[in-house]
Amino acid sequence: MRSGRWITQNEPLTYLNEATAIWLRDLRGEFRTRYAVNSILMFAVTTLVAVSFSIGSFRIGEAEKPFLCSVLLWIILVFSALSGLSRSFVKEEEAGTMDVLKLSARPQAVFLGKLFFNLTLLGALQLIIVPLFILLMNYKIASPGLFAAMIISGGLGLGAGTTIVAAMIAQASARGALFAVLSFPLLLPLMITAIKGCERAADGMNTAGWPEVRIAVAYTVIMIIMSLFLFPLIWEE
Amino acid sequence: MIIKVLLSIWMAVIISAAFLYAGAAAGFPGQTSRILFFHVPQAWIATLSFLLSMIASCIYLARRSVKTDHLALSAAELGLLFCILATATGSIFARATWGSFWNWDPRQTSIVILLMIYGAYFALRSAVPDPEKRRVFAAVYSILAFVTVPFLVFVVPRITASLHPENTMNPAKPGMDPKTLKVFLGSLLAYTGLFVWMLRLKIRLLRLEGRQEPEFVISEKLKQEGEKG
Repeated sequence: MRSGRWITQNEPLTYLNEATAIWLRDLRGEFRTRYAVNSILMFAVTTLVAVSFSIGSFRIGEAEKPFLCSVLLWIILVFSALSGLSRSFVKEEEAGTMDVLKLSARPQAVFLGKLFFNLTLLGALQLIIVPLFILLMNYKIASPGLFAAMIISGGLGLGAGTTIVAAMIAQASARGALFAVLSFPLLLPLMITAIKGCERAADGMNTAGWPEVRIAVAYTVIMIIMSLFLFPLIWEE
Repeated sequence: MIIKVLLSIWMAVIISAAFLYAGAAAGFPGQTSRILFFHVPQAWIATLSFLLSMIASCIYLARRSVKTDHLALSAAELGLLFCILATATGSIFARATWGSFWNWDPRQTSIVILLMIYGAYFALRSAVPDPEKRRVFAAVYSILAFVTVPFLVFVVPRITASLHPENTMNPAKPGMDPKTLKVFLGSLLAYTGLFVWMLRLKIRLLRLEGRQEPEFVISEKLKQEGEKG
């Protein structure tokens, strides 16, 4: 990171340069306020504690565990993400920096920068919540490789599906509730896939080919491509 | 006007034929197979209007004409109506043949997601105050939602087996009685006609509403007054 300057004049302005600059700028802002991290993480930890406290690690039978724990894990992850991911665009609107951002970078670069930022947040969330969940719920995973791949690809899909919705929400009224309402139908196919994938990884049966991981990656790629096409339309209004 | 009269006669003929002319299909308890003449066209219209709304949204984004936005909105509203009808009739059929109104069959899952998408679409429209922005956002959301549908069609059925009768869905497959086929195709035609008629009414209504309340004119006036004051 060059001190204070996000984009140097010597480098050619590629989309990736601009996107990285926006990503680093958002990260720096986040380090100062810790608003998004705090809200998402605390939401996730609260839900996790509620689930773990009320169910406990031995209430669910061994036969049911791979499936039920996978469902609970993804409900925690998805709804934590929905509680705070819209922050990346809403904060621009609230601080009044939207117009400057529109002038200083191309729309696709803005989208990619915000996507990277959201993915960083999601990565941090998963890094803390998933191990905690495994410990607290005594969740045994037969195939850790598949499990890790499913968590990562599911997280990528989660970020790809919600970033463009966040950009729309930021310019609408009733932001908080609307974000979950709009994102959930788009995320449901991904969520069903991720639940199935984690269940498969936990019971360790039929793990050949990793079909769920491939579906999640396809979902991510399609959502990113569609967003790159559609984002300029909602950004330049 | 003449279309309205012809359509109502045709609907009446189809409804009577569905109960009197076509026989009940074998393999279904009692008279339950007659739902084919109502449920399937409703589901077809729900899907058709979803597709139409998406195409109109694409055209709107390219051309920015209010007319295509009216088409997209009307198609979505009618789609929601037919989606609710299809869900309700399907649920009654589920009770009669599978034993419970709701059991998250893949078909039921996908229609619930379709309902949620329509609900979100209207929530988005009502939450954006600026009309130009509202139209663009709605169009973008409509396209995004459409992109996720293939995942539902191909992904969800892989995960649990469906109990939904498939062969009755496809008239090209053998096994459908010729009388049933005739009434079924007639019913599809009737429902499509009904849809087109309602769609045109709705679009006319939207156009008249748009003429009645010229929001931008009012805001311009206020702005001018503000400048004077």
